Amino acid sequence: MTELSDEDLIKEYQDNNTPEAYDILVKRYKDPLMNFVYRFVGDRDICTDVVQDTMIKFYLNKDSYRSFAKFSTWIYTIAGNLAKNELKRRRRRIIFSIDNSDDERSPQIEDKMFIAPDKAADGTIRNEIIQKALLKVKTVYREVVILRDIQDLSYEEISEITGLAIGTVKSRINRGRAQLQKLLKHIYRE
Amino acid sequence: MKKIYNNEENKFSEMLKVLKELPKIKAPDNFEYNLLTRIQNKNFGKTEKERPQFNWVKFLAPSAVVISAIILFFIFFPSSQENNNQILQRTKLQDKQSAVNNSTSTKNELNNQQSVPSSTNLQSNPSVLLGSNDRAARPGVRSRIYDSRSIKLDDYISGANKNQSNTNRGNIVNNGEEPSQYDGLIVSEKPDKKTLERYRAVVDSIKKAQLKADSLKKVQK
Repeated sequence: MTELSDEDLIKEYQDNNTPEAYDILVKRYKDPLMNFVYRFVGDRDICTDVVQDTMIKFYLNKDSYRSFAKFSTWIYTIAGNLAKNELKRRRRRIIFSIDNSDDERSPQIEDKMFIAPDKAADGTIRNEIIQKALLKVKTVYREVVILRDIQDLSYEEISEITGLAIGTVKSRINRGRAQLQKLLKHIYRE
Repeated sequence: MKKIYNNEENKFSEMLKVLKELPKIKAPDNFEYNLLTRIQNKNFGKTEKERPQFNWVKFLAPSAVVISAIILFFIFFPSSQENNNQILQRTKLQDKQSAVNNSTSTKNELNNQQSVPSSTNLQSNPSVLLGSNDRAARPGVRSRIYDSRSIKLDDYISGANKNQSNTNRGNIVNNGEEPSQYDGLIVSEKPDKKTLERYRAVVDSIKKAQLKADSLKKVQK
């Protein structure tokens, strides 16, 4: 069964309610979804919850999947929507919380000024800076940039996931990249 | 088109390389175990519709509307209550009645040839005795007759009102454009028929005497 394609597995799960098919699909997609959601939300715990919820939604609404679409785009759409909802909820919580700290509201990219170049070369710190810069990019651009440049999805797949025209996807990717490059300028100084 | 985007990708090539080198985030080891536990326990809590949290904005907006409605009601309520105020209604009726009586009495004094209409007729159909130029007959023009300024005719004749000090009294002369605040001999009570006849007899005798004097003058000439 492990050799079956995603679409075959979901069909098997839909028709015969085979738990093994569900398990295989969860194993295949848990890591890519974790990576996508983490880059989008920027919090590991929240990211785990979002991916768990995605899998639960998949479990509960398996019949809403239609065979003409790719399974990957369907599951990415669910994860993306849940991640966006989570971001909105967090934003609302920050607005209404009395003792909200600035750290919670926006990642401090400005801290980069105080990082020595030799330290900036260090992988961990650099990755952290890139992640913070990603979170600074507008949500609409961030999503497509992550899907394209980190998850390596095609424009067609991104178009299907986001429900946007391919032209829009491309222009958004470019704008997102431009924003990100502006934020990461200092990394390429050397 | 493809070339443009390829050029764009070249422009960002360095950054794209860095993004691709980012470490892949992996799910925790107990991810599947937790997921299966949730499914077995049917713990789908978060995916179900969340209970709406208490929202101050949602709470304050309707309550502000209700409060403003109550305030507006209390602002406009007294004006509607005024119509039901019997004391005010009575004073208005008195004003009207005294205006009618006043106009009829002046007419009667001037026109002694006409018969005296009964008080009941006056009350039932006052427009019979009112001329078109009379202030009381004009629509929209309201005579300002104040009870505090009126005096009783009987008391005035007998001199019983001499001791009363009415500070509001005084003759006001205007050009007739504005409603006059006249201080007249307004009968606040029903006119006595006998008194009216007595006054009419006095006026008649004066007029007869004047006619006699005129005729004597003519004879002398």
